[in-house]
Amino acid sequence: MAHKGTTGSKLFITVLYMVVSSSAVPVTDLLDRASQRSDKLHALSTSLSQELNSHLPLIGRVITPRPSMCHTAALQTPTDKTQTLQLSEANLLSLARSLLQAWMDPLVDISTSANSLPHPARNIISNQVQELQEHSKSLEDGLDILSRKMGPVAQTISFLPYLRGNDISQDRISSLINLQFLMSCFRRDSHKIDSFLKVLRCRAAKLQPQMC
Amino acid sequence: MKEVMEEAVLLFLLLVIYTPDAQGTRYSPPGKPELTRCRSPEKETFTCWWKPGSDGGLPTTHALYYRKENSDTIYECSDYHTAGENSCFFNKNDTSIWVNYNITVVASNALGSTFSDPVDIDVVYIVKPNPPEKVTVTVMELKEWPFLRVSWEPPHKADTRSGWITLIYELRVKLEGDDEWEMHLAGQQKLFNIFSLRSGGTYHVQVRCKPDHGFWSEWSSTSHIEIPDYLHREKSMWILIAVFSAFIFLILTWSLHMSSHSLKHCILPPVPGPKIKGFDKQLLKNGKSEDLLRVLVVSDFPPTTPSNYEDMLVEYLEVYVPQEQEVLLEESKDLHDSCLKFEGSTSDNDSGRVSCDSHTLLMDKCGEAKEEGRQTDQEDSTTEAEAQGQQKDWDQDTLMYANGDILSPEKSSGRVKTWPSVFSPLPQYTLSLPDQTSSLEMAKQHCYSDSLFCPGSTSSYLTHLGNNDNETLGPGSWEICLSNRQPYSHIPQMQTCQQVRSHSDVNISTIARKQEPAGLPLPFFRPTAYVEVQRFDEEDMVVLQSIVSDHGFHEGFPQMLQQEDYSKVKGVDSNNMLLLQTEAMKEDGDGCRCQDQVTNGVTESSCTLSISTTPHKPTAHIHTVVSTQDEMAQPASGYVDTATIFTLPTY
Repeated sequence: MAHKGTTGSKLFITVLYMVVSSSAVPVTDLLDRASQRSDKLHALSTSLSQELNSHLPLIGRVITPRPSMCHTAALQTPTDKTQTLQLSEANLLSLARSLLQAWMDPLVDISTSANSLPHPARNIISNQVQELQEHSKSLEDGLDILSRKMGPVAQTISFLPYLRGNDISQDRISSLINLQFLMSCFRRDSHKIDSFLKVLRCRAAKLQPQMC
Repeated sequence: MKEVMEEAVLLFLLLVIYTPDAQGTRYSPPGKPELTRCRSPEKETFTCWWKPGSDGGLPTTHALYYRKENSDTIYECSDYHTAGENSCFFNKNDTSIWVNYNITVVASNALGSTFSDPVDIDVVYIVKPNPPEKVTVTVMELKEWPFLRVSWEPPHKADTRSGWITLIYELRVKLEGDDEWEMHLAGQQKLFNIFSLRSGGTYHVQVRCKPDHGFWSEWSSTSHIEIPDYLHREKSMWILIAVFSAFIFLILTWSLHMSSHSLKHCILPPVPGPKIKGFDKQLLKNGKSEDLLRVLVVSDFPPTTPSNYEDMLVEYLEVYVPQEQEVLLEESKDLHDSCLKFEGSTSDNDSGRVSCDSHTLLMDKCGEAKEEGRQTDQEDSTTEAEAQGQQKDWDQDTLMYANGDILSPEKSSGRVKTWPSVFSPLPQYTLSLPDQTSSLEMAKQHCYSDSLFCPGSTSSYLTHLGNNDNETLGPGSWEICLSNRQPYSHIPQMQTCQQVRSHSDVNISTIARKQEPAGLPLPFFRPTAYVEVQRFDEEDMVVLQSIVSDHGFHEGFPQMLQQEDYSKVKGVDSNNMLLLQTEAMKEDGDGCRCQDQVTNGVTESSCTLSISTTPHKPTAHIHTVVSTQDEMAQPASGYVDTATIFTLPTY
C-alpha cells in the first residue's frame, strides 16, 4: 500500500527524530496524540456506518451477518472493564496495533467498493473512507514508534488473516450489505483501539491527572 | 358443612370471575410491548426500559430475555426492580462490552403472550453518564473586576481515573431574568472561569458531561450566585460618558450657531420672486388678483360692451398676447413639448369646437399631435353639430373680442383678435385658469392659428384670459398670442409669444379635409403660414407679416408666396364668423381645403387656405410638408387679408 505523507505521520517522524536525538518527548505526549487520532478514527467510522445504515434496505438488516463473524473476532480481547484494566500496557498496545494492522487491507477493499457503490451518498462515503485510510496509516506509524519505546512485548502483533470472500460481481444489495457489515466490524474495533489507548494514556500520565 | 360452603363460594367466585361479562368485554392476549431505550451510565452496567402494550383486560406480566452474540443461550433479566417499573437492570456480572446483546421483551397474560421486536445493542454505544457532581460557583476578583469560578466533579460512578471513561464537560450561565443561556465548552477540565459579568445580578450555572463517544448527561442542578455591586467602577464610567457627551453637545451647538445662516438657506430656501418685466411685486403681495391682472393685462382688452360685438367683428382683428403667468407657464410648457396636446381636452374640443375641424390639428414633431389631430378631426366631424350650439356663445365671445378693445389697441399688448373662424381649439390654454373660467370658457378653445394659417399669415394662439377684467368681453376672453418675432411687441409676454411662436413654428397646422376625413393623419397637415403682428396702424389695423422664413414646414408657402396666395376675409357669415379664404392658387387638385376655419365648417367653397405643393403630388403635399423640415423654403408671405377690414402689406 502506498505510504501517504500525511501531516500526522510527518509529525510522528519529526517526533521520532527528536526522540532519537534528545529523547525528550515524553511518552505521555505521544500517547496523547495517538489517542486523539484514534478518537478521530472511531468518530469517522461511526459516521460512515450510520451513513450506510440509513440507506440499507430493510432486508439487509435482517440478513446482516453477526459481528461475531468479523475477521478480527479471532483476536482475544477483554470483554469488560476489569479484564481490560488487568492488561499490561504492552499488551494493550499490542492489541491495539494488531487490530489496526488487521484492518489495513480491508480498508483498501472498502475503498474500492465504496467508489462503485450504488448509493446516493457515494461521494461522501468514498471521501470518508479515504480519510479513514489516512488516519489509520498515521496512527499505525505513531503506534509503531511508541511500541519501540515500550519493549518487545508491545511490538508483537498478532496476525489476523482477512479473507477476501467477496466476489467482484456481487449484486447491488449484497455489496451494500457486505460493506455495511465490514463497517460495523471496523467501528467496534476502532472503539477498542481507542479505549486501549486512552487507558494507556491515563496510566502513563500518573503525574498529570488532568489527562484522565 | 363449612367446607362445602367454602367450596361453593370458591366455585361461585371462579364462575363470576371467568364467566364472560353480560356486556361483552373481551379478554385478549396482551398487546405488543416495545423496548424504548437502554442506557449505561458508566460502561459497566446498563438498564433497559420498555413500554407495555395493552393488557387485554387481564393481568399481564412482562419478561425480558436476552442473548449474547457468541452463544445461543437465552437468559432472562435478573433484576426488574432496581431501575423502576418496566425496566431491567444488568449488573456488572451480566454486562459484557464489545458484545452484541439481542434483547426481547415478552408480555403474557392468561390468554397468551406477545413478543416485542428484538433489539441489538452494544453497551459501549449507549453510554450516558450521570450529571457532574459537587458543582461549586464562587465569585473571584481579578484586578477589581469580578469573575465566576465554576468547579465540579465527575459523577461518582464514572471511572475516569483509570481512563476507562473519558468525559468532556459543558456549562451554561445566565442571569436571573434572562431566557437564553450562555454555553461554554470546558473540555476535560473540571474548572472554568466566566468573565464579563454584570455587577449586582444573580447568575444561574449548570454543568453537564459526555463520554467521548456517547450521550450528553442531564444538566446538573442549578447553582445560584449573586454578584456584589461594583458600583464605583461603573459609576466612574458613566460620569465619563456624561462629560463626553456634554462636550460633544456643546460643540454641535456651537457649530450649528455658526452655520445657522447657511443652514437656514439649506433647509428653507428663499422663494424666488417673479421675474416679469414691469411686474409689480408689491401688487402681487397685496393679493388682489384683479388688480394684478389689470396690470398684467393691457387695459380693457376685453370689450366691455357686449353690444358692440358687431362693431368689433367688423372693425378689426385683434391679436392678444396672453398675459397670465399660468397661461405663460402652460404655454411654455406646451411649447417646449412642441406638441399641442389635446389629450385632456378632447372633450373640450368637442364642446368648444368651432368648425375648426382640422385646422385645430397641428402637425406635431412627435407625431402625437397627429393622433390628436386625427382625433380632433374626427371629433370635428362628429361634434360639429354640438359645436354649433356652442358656437353661438363662442362666437359672441369672439365678437366681443373683436368689438372690444380693438379700439384701443396698444402696441405693447400686441393684441390681435382673431376671428372665431380662426380659432382652433386649444384646450390647454383655456384650461389654464380653471378657476376663472366659466364653463363657456372651457368650451372655448384655442384655435390654433391654423385657421389663421389658412390665410397663411397669422399663427397665433388663443389663450384664455383671466376673466376678471374682462367683463366687457363677456364670459370669456380670448387671447391670441401672435408669434411675434419683431421686437416691436414690447410686451411682457414676449416670452410667451416667443414661445408661442416657436411652438407654432414647430407645429404645422393641419387642416382637415372634408374629403379625407379620417384616413391619414397626414392629410390633416397643411403647411401654414405664420403671421406676425408687425405693427398696429393708427387705423387700428394690424399689419401682419408672415413668418415662414425658417420653417421648413411651410413648404407650401414659398409657392404660395410666389403665387401670391394669401388669405382673404371672404366675409362674415351669419354667425359673425369671419371667413377667411386664401385665394386659390395653382392647386393640383387640392383645392382649397380650409373649410374647417369656417365656422360651421361646411363651406367647402370658402377655401381659406390653399396649400400649394408640388403639383404632381396632391396628397403628397402632406408628405412634403412633413419632410420639408430640411428644405428651407423661401419665407412665405402669406397673410391674412381681410380685404374689407384692413389692408396688409404684402411681402
